[in-house]
Amino acid sequence: MVDAARQPLIEVKAYTEVERVEGFVGNFKVTLREKAKYVRADRCNGCAACAKACPVEVPNYFEMNLAPRKAAYIPMSQSVPLIYNIDMDACIHCYKCVEACGALEAIDFSMEDKVVEEEIGAIVVATGFGHFDPTPMTEYGYGRFPNVITAMEMERLNNSAGPTRGSLMRPSDSKSPRRLAIINCVGSRDKRYNSSCSSFCCMYAIKNALLLKQMIPEMDISIYYIDIRTPSKGYEEFYDRAREAGIKFIQGRPAGITEDPDSHQLFIKSEDITLGRVVEHEYDMVMLNQAAIPQPDQNHMSSVLNVAQSPGGWYMEYHPKLRPMDSPTDGIFFAGACQGPKDIPASVAQGSAAAARASRILHSDTWQIEPTVAVVWEDRCVSGKGQACGICERACPYGAIDYTKGISAEVITAKCHGCGACVGECPHDSITQLHYTDAQVLAQIRTLLAVEPEKKILAFRCQWCSYGGADLAGTSHFEYSANERGLRVMCSARMDADLIYEAYRLGAGAVLFSGCHPQDCHYITGQIAGAKRAARLDKMFARLGMNPARFRTEWISAAEGDKYARVINEMQAALDAIPQDELKAEIERLKPEMEKKLSKLNQIPGVEEAMIQVDFIVSEMQNKAVPI
Amino acid sequence: MSLPEKSTLAEQIKAIPGGEMLMMCFSCGTCTSKCMIQEKLEPAYNPRRLIREAAFNLEDMAFNDQTTWLCSACDLCYPACPQKIHISAVINAVKQLAVAQGRQNPHQTAKVNEFTCVACGLCVEICPYEAIALIGKKVPFRGMINVASVDPGKCMACGICNAACRSTSIRLEQDFNDNLVLENLWGWLESEAV
Repeated sequence: MVDAARQPLIEVKAYTEVERVEGFVGNFKVTLREKAKYVRADRCNGCAACAKACPVEVPNYFEMNLAPRKAAYIPMSQSVPLIYNIDMDACIHCYKCVEACGALEAIDFSMEDKVVEEEIGAIVVATGFGHFDPTPMTEYGYGRFPNVITAMEMERLNNSAGPTRGSLMRPSDSKSPRRLAIINCVGSRDKRYNSSCSSFCCMYAIKNALLLKQMIPEMDISIYYIDIRTPSKGYEEFYDRAREAGIKFIQGRPAGITEDPDSHQLFIKSEDITLGRVVEHEYDMVMLNQAAIPQPDQNHMSSVLNVAQSPGGWYMEYHPKLRPMDSPTDGIFFAGACQGPKDIPASVAQGSAAAARASRILHSDTWQIEPTVAVVWEDRCVSGKGQACGICERACPYGAIDYTKGISAEVITAKCHGCGACVGECPHDSITQLHYTDAQVLAQIRTLLAVEPEKKILAFRCQWCSYGGADLAGTSHFEYSANERGLRVMCSARMDADLIYEAYRLGAGAVLFSGCHPQDCHYITGQIAGAKRAARLDKMFARLGMNPARFRTEWISAAEGDKYARVINEMQAALDAIPQDELKAEIERLKPEMEKKLSKLNQIPGVEEAMIQVDFIVSEMQNKAVPI
Repeated sequence: MSLPEKSTLAEQIKAIPGGEMLMMCFSCGTCTSKCMIQEKLEPAYNPRRLIREAAFNLEDMAFNDQTTWLCSACDLCYPACPQKIHISAVINAVKQLAVAQGRQNPHQTAKVNEFTCVACGLCVEICPYEAIALIGKKVPFRGMINVASVDPGKCMACGICNAACRSTSIRLEQDFNDNLVLENLWGWLESEAV
């Protein structure tokens, strides 16, 4: 941190809040509130004279409120930048600090918050994690029993720079504890509080146990756990070292802690799973290894940065496996535990990766994005004609569409990732996607279904998953029906209902609506929009009396080549089971319905012209003038 | 209740309301260390083990496990369970399945004297386990009448019905029957008097 502060190209803005982030990759406009420190940064030399003179003492949050600090303070002696700060909530305005500061004249009570706007190319978010407060878990008595402490309090109590100068003592009588229990998974892996695993606490408990064992070798340390998770390189060896050092591992989550009110001794009753028996042990001190949770203001920050959150509240990455350091918004990156609980090596790796990603932006004059971006036909958008709509804005997973009633919707091209969700959702067909325009996709459908459409299975595949699955089926030589005709779009969200109507209008035997599994979608929520639409279509086709074998929705990953082949074969078998005359009658019966739904198709710009050409090719195909 | 036939024990339990979360148990042992029956009555009592037996379809073990028959459904464990498994409901499901298979409840249950029962329904209202129902039955000398009937799969022999019945028609016959309770009471009063 000191190195960072000394590097001339790095500016550390301590005590500053991000208020607003606007713009897009390479061109962010960030509004910052530089909060008043009441000490002038250009004059303060960190001599601590003001803190010595200050008569006010308040709990120091950095020491988990176990030690006091003055109203003129720095949170810890290694603070960077080393500039004191006056806590106005605690200050009694005695001005003793001004006297103590003397000729330096660094203290300035007239300072005010400063709001500045900066041009920023890329943003790395590294806001870390928060700690679960175990007070609501009354069974562990945190807050009631003085000798029950949290892991972060333990961290300060055995730290040589901490309030006890590194000699561990229990809060009730300042004696050095001889029997210590560590309880894991306090508030994590617990559906009542946080159902996820905090990932690093097992190693953290073992680290603390070994550290304390080195400090006080005669100390008896037990770790209560549900499962011990030591998944990384060298971690299991570390666990072995702890066993060798005589640390007791007890499998079993204690239901509660009781206390002797006179001696403040603690008793833990738990089932020892390996013995299958309930055991009770006495301890001098208990450390609760509490869950890592998102920062308390993470919800607020996620709306400021316009990045989504995963179900647990952590920032959501672009892709959990392939792009874990990128946010879905280009130019915003995540480093460390703000994206999910992780230990130091993983945080450092992610931080370095994020920095490298950010420097790529800073070093380029232009920025390439997917070419398949959305474009609005302004003359068709109903919002421009004064109607309330905004469906495209709600459909966009990236917040790339600006909708204001009265003016036609606008796509912020730099933010668009090209999924086509807006195109699929727009009820007025006033938005299209480059390289996947309605004319282009309709042309493909018509040529694919040019000959004997009632025998064909038209498969809509998404670029990332089901198309890859079909590819894998091919390269793996998994045989599937030759009547399948695949059609690629970027995402299942792009699979417009019109395209499916068109397939049935042309008399397609069956249609497969396929895409990624919900958690694998490359466009955050694209698959969800696609799945909703597919369910809606399914219901409607049932109402129209269509044979259910003719429409199928399947989520197939790029690794599921066998599933793709199986699905197509099953569809073929189901299609074969329908008698030919019945199928033809149904196609004829539904044709007018579909035509009714597609009546406005030719009004879409480019469609009519394209279809004239396509119809020529189709007729050539039907006359077998061109190979099918 | 209709249960899916020819399915495994775990599937049958999951089909009974309250048993849905059976497979979520990760064997942390919180329920066992929370349990009052384990602490006060029976050291070998272990709901965690029973859930494991049920999840692994060990029917004989589960039906013979005294955990199945001793649980009083006090639900101390339910709010403590980190996986939100309704443990007493799971145990109750195991018990119902055991009774449905013809296993006898090894502990006593309340017995109805059908010759004196007037089918007032007080016991039905008051039973905390919903173990009592009024059924139409042909009783000797009384003909076809409504009488209370105790489901041995649900009765926990708490004796509340015994205390509530105004015609002493529903009773515990072994432990904690009227005579024993009165004897204890008199013994206690006498010792207090001294």
